[in-house]
Amino acid sequence: MDPQSTPSTQRRQFLYIILGGAAAAFAGLAAWPVWRYLLPGRKADLEAKIPVARREVPLGRAFFFNFRGQPAVVLQPAPGQFVALSAVCTHLGCVVQWFPDKTEFLCPCHGGRFNAEGQVLGGPPPKPLTLLPLTIEGDQILVG
Amino acid sequence: MNLKKRLLDFVDVRLGVRDLLAQNLTKYLLPRNINAWYTLGAVLLTLFMIQVATGILLLIYYVPNPDEAFQSVERIMNEIPFGWLIRNLHAIGANVIVIALLLHMLSVLFMASYKRPRELTWLSGFLIFNLALGLCLTGYLLPWSQLSFWATTVATDAAGAIPVLGDEIVRFLRGGSMVNEATLGRFFALHVMGMPLLLGGLVGFHLFCVRRAGISRPPFGPTYQPREIPDHFEHEEHPGGIPFFPNYVIKDLAVICFFLAFLLAIVFFAPTLLSPESAFVPADPFVTPPHIKPEWYFLWAYQTLKIFPSELIGLGVQGAFMTFLALLPFIDRGPERRPAMRPIFVTSFFLTLFVFVAISIWGHFS
Ligand code: HEM
Ligand code: FES
Repeated sequence: MDPQSTPSTQRRQFLYIILGGAAAAFAGLAAWPVWRYLLPGRKADLEAKIPVARREVPLGRAFFFNFRGQPAVVLQPAPGQFVALSAVCTHLGCVVQWFPDKTEFLCPCHGGRFNAEGQVLGGPPPKPLTLLPLTIEGDQILVG
Repeated sequence: MNLKKRLLDFVDVRLGVRDLLAQNLTKYLLPRNINAWYTLGAVLLTLFMIQVATGILLLIYYVPNPDEAFQSVERIMNEIPFGWLIRNLHAIGANVIVIALLLHMLSVLFMASYKRPRELTWLSGFLIFNLALGLCLTGYLLPWSQLSFWATTVATDAAGAIPVLGDEIVRFLRGGSMVNEATLGRFFALHVMGMPLLLGGLVGFHLFCVRRAGISRPPFGPTYQPREIPDHFEHEEHPGGIPFFPNYVIKDLAVICFFLAFLLAIVFFAPTLLSPESAFVPADPFVTPPHIKPEWYFLWAYQTLKIFPSELIGLGVQGAFMTFLALLPFIDRGPERRPAMRPIFVTSFFLTLFVFVAISIWGHFS
């Protein structure tokens, strides 16, 4: 090969590409572990059912608990009948409060109102509260 | 291409960056006989940047509280993806930095680059060295393992040999009469904030000194002549020298790659090289494990405290040696830098080095 046959600018370009490629590969190699390290951990079991003791949920009352990292609530609107809902308001994500005497949820942020089934009664929320499936086993309510 | 040029034009018109870059890269000429030892500064900069980056990442999951510290470190090692990599890079990186610091210092000593007009460069470097060791010491406590706890107990205890004030100094260092959560609090604050800020400032000053004085000419080769040092400021020029960029930058990068390969080799293939069993047991203030030894770079100090009949004499000898080293440029003032023309210095250099290595090995096996 005659080194003069390729112009030096072209060889320079070629070297830049090689060097740039190597640098980019190295940067990617370093960035990947950092990205994984920073990624919020998927809490091991997103499938797990969350147990709530029945006695925590007296008639007409609400029990708030952590459902897979999000606030949720279990109610007993009628004797022996339980409802589990996400407690996150569908408007802008505040956490709703239960008012037993009115038997409704009120959102403190913009006055959204929901009934015990999570249906919107008034205010800005566009959608009902998310209903969570539950099963009853002995004195445990299993949500999820 | 055009966009790149226009961007550069924009900044250049305002800040004159093209001139700045040229002055510091392509027109910054280094002595023709420059050698690989001059790359160690760039190696150290790289290693320190890795410490800062991995340190910030560790802070995300580390909990500085005696009840949770050990567990949080175990979680980083075993649960968080790539936590082992981040932590090992940080912990083993600290050791590689000490190696690089020692090599940098030894080469500067051997080539007598500390001499006038570079006394301040040397002095700032010496402070950096001590601060780096301080970072190693304070960082060692943070995992709150048996090793951390008892190594810190022994290290802080040494100050107790100082007459009159000794006990007060130990109490002050520990924040109590024993190593406890107060110790963790102050070591944590120093390790993640106090010392790194100070170190950053000192490194900036060090680099300023290096650049302002101009890089020294290696005192080797038939054409070398000791430089006439004027008594006013004069930047040391190297007309006809090799450009910093690209020539020396390539060499810097090559040696940096070598050090990174060394670091990664330990991280991947011998991550527990420097961790005895006690590093894997949470701290227990009521049980001292057998054979507590400091890290390898403190072994010389540990052993000197044991050799002398009293710890006070040992501490005095250490203090005298470190003071001598700090003030060396003001003591050793002749203009000669060629090793062959400085037989007394070179002999003491190798003798001292030998004694240090021997004492450290002795300390390791004692
Ligand atoms: C954070 C640690 C340090 C960094 C980042 C650092 C960085 C540098 C850099 C980039 C240079 C110029 C290139 C070279 O000769 O390597 C340099 C030169 C120098 N360093 Fe350091 N250094 C550090 C620690 C030290 C220590 C511990 C000492 C000695 C006590 C020291 C003494 C010197 C001297 C005297 C020079 C001038 C060399 C010459 O001009 O020939 N440095 N340093
Ligand atoms: S967030 Fe609940 S009403 Fe606006």
